[in-house]
Amino acid sequence: MDQSHRHTLKAFDQDMAELRGLIIDMGSFAEAAIEEAMRCLVERDADAAHELVEADVQLDELETEAERRVLELIALRAPMADDLRDAIAALKIAGVVERIGDYAKNIARRVRRLPAKGEIEPLSLLPEMAKIASGMVHDVLAAFVGRDADKARAVCRRDDALDDFYESIFRTLLTYMMEDPQNISPSTTLLFVAKNLERIGDHATNIAEMVYFAATGERLSDSE
Amino acid sequence: MMPLRRKLADGAALLFALAATAFGLIWLVWILWTTMAEGAAALTPSLFTQMTPPPGGSGGLLNAFYGSAVMVLVALVLGTPVGIAAGTYLAEHGRHSRLAAIVGFINDILLSAPSIVIGLFVYELAVRPAGHFSGFAGAIALAIILLPIVVRTTDEALRLVPNQMREAAFALGVPAWRITSRIIYKAGLSGIVTGVLLGLARIAGETAPLLFTALNNQFWSASLAQPLANVPVVIFQYAMSPYDQWHALAWAGALVLTAFVLGLNLMVRFFARRGNR
Amino acid sequence: MIELLERRVKEATPLALPAKIHVRDLDFFYGKAQALKKVELAVPANSVTAIIGPSGCGKSTLLRTINRIYELYPDQRAEGEVVIDGHNVLDPRYSLSALRRCVGMVFQKPTPFATSIRKNVAFALSYYERLPKGELADRIEDALRHAALWDEVKDKLDSSALALSGGQQQRLCIARTLAVRPEIILLDEPTSALDPISTAKIEELIHELRQHFTIVIVTHNMQQAARVSQRTAFFHLGELIEVGETSQIFTNPHVQRTQDYITGRYG
Repeated sequence: MDQSHRHTLKAFDQDMAELRGLIIDMGSFAEAAIEEAMRCLVERDADAAHELVEADVQLDELETEAERRVLELIALRAPMADDLRDAIAALKIAGVVERIGDYAKNIARRVRRLPAKGEIEPLSLLPEMAKIASGMVHDVLAAFVGRDADKARAVCRRDDALDDFYESIFRTLLTYMMEDPQNISPSTTLLFVAKNLERIGDHATNIAEMVYFAATGERLSDSE
Repeated sequence: MMPLRRKLADGAALLFALAATAFGLIWLVWILWTTMAEGAAALTPSLFTQMTPPPGGSGGLLNAFYGSAVMVLVALVLGTPVGIAAGTYLAEHGRHSRLAAIVGFINDILLSAPSIVIGLFVYELAVRPAGHFSGFAGAIALAIILLPIVVRTTDEALRLVPNQMREAAFALGVPAWRITSRIIYKAGLSGIVTGVLLGLARIAGETAPLLFTALNNQFWSASLAQPLANVPVVIFQYAMSPYDQWHALAWAGALVLTAFVLGLNLMVRFFARRGNR
Repeated sequence: MIELLERRVKEATPLALPAKIHVRDLDFFYGKAQALKKVELAVPANSVTAIIGPSGCGKSTLLRTINRIYELYPDQRAEGEVVIDGHNVLDPRYSLSALRRCVGMVFQKPTPFATSIRKNVAFALSYYERLPKGELADRIEDALRHAALWDEVKDKLDSSALALSGGQQQRLCIARTLAVRPEIILLDEPTSALDPISTAKIEELIHELRQHFTIVIVTHNMQQAARVSQRTAFFHLGELIEVGETSQIFTNPHVQRTQDYITGRYG
């Protein structure tokens, strides 16, 4: 629906805009965390990874702030129809983005389990997967700000690509482990990382469903 | 500089207003004072117990008081019901009616008609055919003067009743006549009573019409078919006479009349305040 | 487990109720100006239907058409049908008295009559029914109880109705309407002149009354419409724009204009 009509109460518009801005900030933070975690993994940068883990608490604080703002919005503005759906979506999305941040943190935690040097073949597959995952997060939040139901639906479809990626990495790692028992330890680490990335994709899909509902008032059916 | 000019203008206007008020009040106070001073001398119990005396004699105004009271009462009985009914018609049913507008207009003309004209009219109607003056003719004349006052005040009192009250009553499905009699009258009662009292105050002092109709009667008479003594005409006669005792009685009568009208106005205020509560 | 889910989901969908009032093709004119245009609306029985919309959209006009109170004013006229229980009540042959006994109305400004509380409630009742004293007193008590006013006035039934507070006066007006046992109650912004506590009491009253009456309420306050009604109709410039379940109208309206109005993007 066309939401170019502004509210008569300008302060309401401002509140909604600030809320959306906050969600976007959280999303950017999570995206950057995913990319940084992947970089640390590839370059075996344990120090930077540690900093990333510490920094995750900021995302938690942002989520708390988002929650507070939504409560205020509902209590003071009594939002109706699409405004109400937006507010509830913002609340839920903030929670999910925070969880995505946690997954990025988990990836960063695994950096020190890898040997500081030495090439690990399957590792080269992961950055590509991370890119898809962080891309999904970026696009789905853009869809939220723009109340774009079609964009949200498109993000859902990309989750299949991510799942396929996970399957192929899983098989590659199995083969790698079977080649040499020394490879088992790093392989399991990488498997967990891949799993985390796949979960990030699932969460992005959840966000897409919330965005779709907020924009249209209807549920995204499973077939899409 | 501007505020000072404004202040001066303000002060000047206030001063002017006070001066005008004082000017108006001075005359009022003077009249009241004179009436009280002159009338107090003759204000004895005999004023209310003795008849009007012959020239040079002493007496009271009993027959005049009685005659005035009777005629005013009959006028009230004749004029009030008709007046209230007409006023109700104008207020309740006549808002969108051409006929009602015409009736209202005629009523307003009658309201400001010179009372002597009304007296003359009743003279032609009731005195000439009968061949003599009568208290009844006097009462009729007073009723005709009272009527438009009651019509106008009833109309206005009922119009003051909020329309929403009418709608609320109609929404209950009750017919119009019942709404008017049970709800509207109760709500507008103080206004109607005020109107009647004001009319009463007016006709108590009317002199001109009585000159043509009831004239006066020196002796005690309780018959409406004969000329009837009344206070205004007595004042008229006695004031114009050369006798001092008659002058004194005239002032006393004026004082009593003034006190009566004053009393009525106080009652009107009382009712108005009750109505506002 | 799945059964539980089914049961829960089913409860949320309200039953389809038969239409008590059916407005068909209604046009309304104040002199030459048209205030309602081809309105079609079904009002279900035993529920509360709210009518919302900006000032001048025709919502009060619609209400006043249902009990034909507009007929007090000669330059106002209605064309079309308002069907209640199968009879077109706009037909001039239909008895006004019967209509207004069946359809009660409460106005924005509380209008108690300048008489005692008892006489206020009995006013219309004693016109329609000749009741013995005892039964009359019972009916008066009944009406006052249903209007949630009995406890506050039972000791002063003969005192003046004008001495009551605004909220009490409005409940008295409701009791007065209830006394004749109508089937439909029309409320024209009943709480806009009242404080929040009186408003809440009357909203609770409406909630209880809807079990036995069909209620149509016009309100400026959207939150009130949301709190109190099962169905909501949105009017704009004399036309019915959208009507539906209150929950649907306020969470996912189908028409853009409706959404604009309820989210405050209007104008």
